[in-house]
Amino acid sequence: MPDSGYPWPIETTRLDNGLRVVVSEDRTAPAVAVNLWYDVGSRHEPRGQTGFAHLFEHLMFEGSLNVAKTEHMKLIQGSGGSLNATTNPDRTNYFETVPAEHLELALWLEADRMGGLVPALTQETLDNQREVVKNERRQRYENVPYGDAWLRLLPLLYPPGHPYHHATIGSMADLNAADLATFQAFHRTYYAPNNAVLTVVGDATAAEVFKLAEKYFGVIPPLADIPAAPDGRTVAATGRPATETVVADVPAPRVYVAHRTHPFGSAGYDVVTVLATVLGSGRGSRLYQRLADGERLAQPDLVGAYGVDLAHAPAPLIATATARPGVSAEHLAAGLHAVMDELATVPVTATELDRAKALLSTAWWRQMSTVDGRADTLGRYATQLGDPAKAAERLPAWLAVTAEQIAEAAAEVLAADDRVTLTYLAEEKP
Amino acid sequence: MTLIATRPGPGAARPYRFPPVVRRAVAGGQVVAAHLPGQNLAVALLLLDAGAEREPLGREGLGAVLAKALEEGTAQRDAAAYALAVEGLGTELVTGLDWDSFQVSVQVPVDRLTAAVELLAEAVRTPRLDPADVARVRDDEATALRMDWANPGPRADAALRADLFGAQNRWGRPMYGDPDSVAGLDVEDIRVFHSEWFIRPGTLIVAGDLDRIDLDTLAAAAFAGAGGGPIERGGPVETPLREGRRIILVDRPGSVQSTLRLGHPAPHRAHPDHVPMALAGTILGGAFTSRLNHLIREVRGYTYGIRGDFASSRRFGRFGVSSGVQTAVTAPALVEAVGEISRTRSGGVTEEELAVARSWRAGQLSVELQSPRAIASALTTLVVHDLPDDYHARLREALLSGDVDQVNAAAATHLHPDSLTLVVEGDAAMIRDDLAATHLAEIIS
Repeated sequence: MPDSGYPWPIETTRLDNGLRVVVSEDRTAPAVAVNLWYDVGSRHEPRGQTGFAHLFEHLMFEGSLNVAKTEHMKLIQGSGGSLNATTNPDRTNYFETVPAEHLELALWLEADRMGGLVPALTQETLDNQREVVKNERRQRYENVPYGDAWLRLLPLLYPPGHPYHHATIGSMADLNAADLATFQAFHRTYYAPNNAVLTVVGDATAAEVFKLAEKYFGVIPPLADIPAAPDGRTVAATGRPATETVVADVPAPRVYVAHRTHPFGSAGYDVVTVLATVLGSGRGSRLYQRLADGERLAQPDLVGAYGVDLAHAPAPLIATATARPGVSAEHLAAGLHAVMDELATVPVTATELDRAKALLSTAWWRQMSTVDGRADTLGRYATQLGDPAKAAERLPAWLAVTAEQIAEAAAEVLAADDRVTLTYLAEEKP
Repeated sequence: MTLIATRPGPGAARPYRFPPVVRRAVAGGQVVAAHLPGQNLAVALLLLDAGAEREPLGREGLGAVLAKALEEGTAQRDAAAYALAVEGLGTELVTGLDWDSFQVSVQVPVDRLTAAVELLAEAVRTPRLDPADVARVRDDEATALRMDWANPGPRADAALRADLFGAQNRWGRPMYGDPDSVAGLDVEDIRVFHSEWFIRPGTLIVAGDLDRIDLDTLAAAAFAGAGGGPIERGGPVETPLREGRRIILVDRPGSVQSTLRLGHPAPHRAHPDHVPMALAGTILGGAFTSRLNHLIREVRGYTYGIRGDFASSRRFGRFGVSSGVQTAVTAPALVEAVGEISRTRSGGVTEEELAVARSWRAGQLSVELQSPRAIASALTTLVVHDLPDDYHARLREALLSGDVDQVNAAAATHLHPDSLTLVVEGDAAMIRDDLAATHLAEIIS
């Protein structure tokens, strides 16, 4: 059993303006990953502005004070790099992996859009990226069967006013209403060195990175009074199950069952992570063995369970199954509920536990097998848990989870009277 | 605040080196391995000459069903026990099928690699293939495909492929088959396909810390009980270009986007223009900064993304463009996409565009080839296409030395905007008249 899930060096510093810098040197390959976590996500969006954090992420690629429109992509790709960005309820991150000799270019580009986005932001850019994001919404959520499941689960799990009540993609109405001044204000409010973590992993020394970070980011002033998102850590149990049934153009009935658990990073969530793996990861999982293989209620490729790693409120655990031909949604839902209920009553065996831990170990080392995977992990732990070195503790924490803890967690967080069930039924075709 | 206005130049480049490759004939099969010192994870992949092209016409999906059936129990244990054994090592059997090969692999912490390869071989060489299980897996796979085909894309892909290559050829039909072809497979066909193609030794690909891996032991496990030699694979096929464009409309009532699939036949993988074609394809549609993505997404806002590329296997290839665009702008998006392909063919690319494409494709070799999985995949390319150990180093040089004349010649020779098949999957009632009014091509369905 490994003592550490992060056997590489980690060095950190904090610039005078509050920017935290994390460096993990590894000279195996001549590549370097640069990753910025901004501590702003869709949980910060007020009513009427859903989808703004994510639309803003798009605007960050459209030029800044010293970088012309479209130049950001061109410069990174022209140096041989890969880049992207993602937004979720918790945070927004921007990342690129480049051949090591282009580290300074990546830092210059990131600093320019952290400190100099607003002067370059135009109505034309906003209008264009608004259309792109609306197309993203159509492509990912509207034009595919079951594509809106996540949009429907969140309001069932979290009450109005809770920071996770709405989905990050936002509503079409809010996106249409977005005006330029709001986005200028968004940058001025949240995009500051003291609200970000810069992580560099790979072929660079800490001393070199610290010096370059000071050179490019050091001049950007910190912001006072960055507003906090609403506090969502406590969600009262409702005491009654929430259900929703959707009749849609889908090829087969599908059921999602979801619960609020514990925030990512807590000891309770480590137990939930192992529990979810026992329940729904792989052919040896309980859901597969019982519903796909045993009773043959579920399509084998479409059964599973997973936790969604959110850190600022009890994170969701979601289990899902899709009916085989001739199986009703009620029958499938009953099967899914039964398997979940049994986690509290039928003890997890040593074999089940070892299987789950082995799968989690491989998943962890796979994330660690690239410099970009490591950079994202360190950025997360620095941003959400205050210390990148805590990344080393996750794998040992999973490996220490016991069968008793899983039964206790199941009794605590998977209670049938506080369960969300979302069912899709195939509409009758004429 | 004064941000630094001057863009920094690059530091001293550190050369990229593909890991050392080891090739060995052991126990009747071939081993090709890459040494990744210090890497905790390792990948082993068994590469079999059992790609989709080996499936008889009318039996599309044999390989895909067999891939699933391998895990339904072996000579030694039932399906549940097998799943627990494999997953107890922290891995799963990952199967992959393309036109040229069938692959099955495991990825595990390096100290578990031998045990994982033993289990891999157990499933590949000695699956139980009980007729009742195979029939059930086949039915499940047909249902899974039916579910998948409810998404936008697969029907359009199939229509394009059939139009390009002809449904009378195996490669004119979907790689994984379609819901009907899979539902119609005979259990015995699947057992025969296994005995014909899955007992031959094949090649064992290994990526990991070879100081902690005994290749001979792995090979002995992978090739135990295997027999039979290689079989002739056939040369490149000639696919004629169409005279004139055509539009194929695939109806998807209520669709809020139209799925575009544009294409025409192109050279096979070993064609000498491979690198300049790849560069031309990169500039036209292969990167975020490409001409197509810039125009259709960044300027027009019609889509979340559009891509185009040349793709090839041992015997055939195609140029293709794919996107999903908002229903209301289907016709202008199609016109603009065809226009950009035509401009690239007739006007060529600029030195500035090529500079970005060259360094991006070359740099990607150092950026993307990090994980054992990525290295294993690169080794697979060497084996399938009979390439030398220093292929990736040579490829890097070839990419970096690609010049404008070469790339423009490749664009002029291998892009055929007037022979494109334009498949549009969307709400026909909403878009048919607009498409007809473009005069791009006749709508043939």
